[in-house]
Amino acid sequence: MQGTEERAGEAEASDADGAAGDDAVPGWLRFWPLLLLGAATVPGVVLYLGGRWLETPVMQAWRTVCLAVTVQALPFLLLGTALSGAINAFVPARVFNRVLPRRPVFAVPVAGAAGVVLPGCECASVPVANRLIGRGVTPAAAFAFLLSAPAINPVVLTATAVAFPGNPAMVAARLLASLGTALAMGWLWLWLGRAEWLKPAVRHGGHQAGGSRWREFRTGFQHDFLHAGGFLVVGAMAAATFNVAVPRSVLDAFSGSLWLSVLFLAVLAIVLAVCSEADAFVAASLNGFSPVAQLAFMVVGPVVDMKLIALQAGTFGRAFAIRFSAATAVVAVLFSVLIGGALL
Amino acid sequence: MRRPFQTALLVLSGIGLLRVSLFTDLYLRYVKEGMRPLLIASGALLILLGAADAVSWVRRRGGDDHADRDDGGHGHGHSGAPRAAWLLFLPALSLLFYAPPALGAYTASRQPPKAVTHEDAFDPLPAISPLPMTLSDFTRRVQQDRTRAIEGRTVRLTGFVTPGERGDGWDLNRLLISCCAADAQSVKVRIHRAPAPPANTWVTVTGTWHPGGTLGTGSAPAALDARSVEKTAKPANAYTDALPLPLAR
Repeated sequence: MQGTEERAGEAEASDADGAAGDDAVPGWLRFWPLLLLGAATVPGVVLYLGGRWLETPVMQAWRTVCLAVTVQALPFLLLGTALSGAINAFVPARVFNRVLPRRPVFAVPVAGAAGVVLPGCECASVPVANRLIGRGVTPAAAFAFLLSAPAINPVVLTATAVAFPGNPAMVAARLLASLGTALAMGWLWLWLGRAEWLKPAVRHGGHQAGGSRWREFRTGFQHDFLHAGGFLVVGAMAAATFNVAVPRSVLDAFSGSLWLSVLFLAVLAIVLAVCSEADAFVAASLNGFSPVAQLAFMVVGPVVDMKLIALQAGTFGRAFAIRFSAATAVVAVLFSVLIGGALL
Repeated sequence: MRRPFQTALLVLSGIGLLRVSLFTDLYLRYVKEGMRPLLIASGALLILLGAADAVSWVRRRGGDDHADRDDGGHGHGHSGAPRAAWLLFLPALSLLFYAPPALGAYTASRQPPKAVTHEDAFDPLPAISPLPMTLSDFTRRVQQDRTRAIEGRTVRLTGFVTPGERGDGWDLNRLLISCCAADAQSVKVRIHRAPAPPANTWVTVTGTWHPGGTLGTGSAPAALDARSVEKTAKPANAYTDALPLPLAR
């Protein structure tokens, strides 16, 4: 026999739907006057103290930033999960086999270039890449798409051109460095990647015979959204913590040295988690830094940041997210330095 | 997460988004104006998704109870969304009942002033007095305008108050965002010769440039000798560097 508390704790995970056992009076009920007193006072005190704590300026700023990152990302997350649900339900696997080259080595550049068509920021691309793998696309190609889509779509490139007026080299450098990073990571996965780093769940999915496609679209959409949304909140909390804890004036200390400034802005892009459609404006405002460092900010931001790491960990598994994000950050910095050094 | 909670979460998030974007202006505390249609569409879509989920749940309950269990999770043997989805209740409920205020003095005090954009040519200043200006405009006039047109002029600026940490005076601030509140940057003008109102109060300050350094170069401080400080209403969109509203008299 299970205790009532244990069962209550499991109710969320298990499928059992019965009411908690009412056959015996549990031991804790004997202390009912104490429990009653506790129930009357504890929530009030906790709410009051918690409320006071949440109203301090630090916590207000934290809540505002956290909510801002979430609200900003939600529409794009919905777009991405709707698309992933549609891929799951309506697009047969043979379409991808026909469009993408058979050899994975050639599939990577095609998928990377296909990132141009998804006009969203990075939150949208994770669920889509997940479903692509589910439909039999080779993971290397899906990852190239995952990394290139938020960085080289027309919306982002236009925003970059607006943020850096009269500096088309910056737009070109961003396009080349981001695409280079995406392709390099795709090929790196072919070379070093292991399927067991991915969660087993990633490899299933697709339309099953007999079900209604609309229903499948809806449930896939809903599942992906709730799943990714939860991890988006984790990422938003992490980004808000850094945002509130690290004062922006630390920036000035690093703007002097070229190498330090590149690394520093790369790290800043990771912890700030600014969405890729707006990061060009943030980069342009960091005008104490060299153009190469600004480029590194814009190349690293869309491919690695706090909310993206959280999303990837939730979707593909933690073992994958850590290795992949670390490698991507290194590759992105290298490409920014190489291409920035040549073009800017 | 079980089905009824999923339905509730979708509907609550949808209503929360609609509350801040369609029924009120609260979304301006977090994101830019341009996001409004996207937020409204997202809110409506979430409510629709929740309603469809509820309908299918009720309908399947009437039919066979078994087939329903697995349909929340493709490729997941167990039912529904993962535990992490519970976290979505935080922003949903926060949007509905406990929307945090726009960023203010705390954020501004921890940031260096945003470097204003560079301008080469300046038009002559209009001949009205006091002259309403934005904080960025004032800073540009003081630090870049070689014609020294700002010298001796009475100007009027609006922003919120950040108490000064060092030196005399306090800061008149605006926070500007390029995407969401996470990337807020501040423009500030130091105010002299007036006692500091409480932090985060929105005020309109009338005064003249506070001399120092060489006017028209970077050495000149963006600072004002205040003649009057008046409380104003907080603007609906706090994250813009807008001109002061005409004072109601």
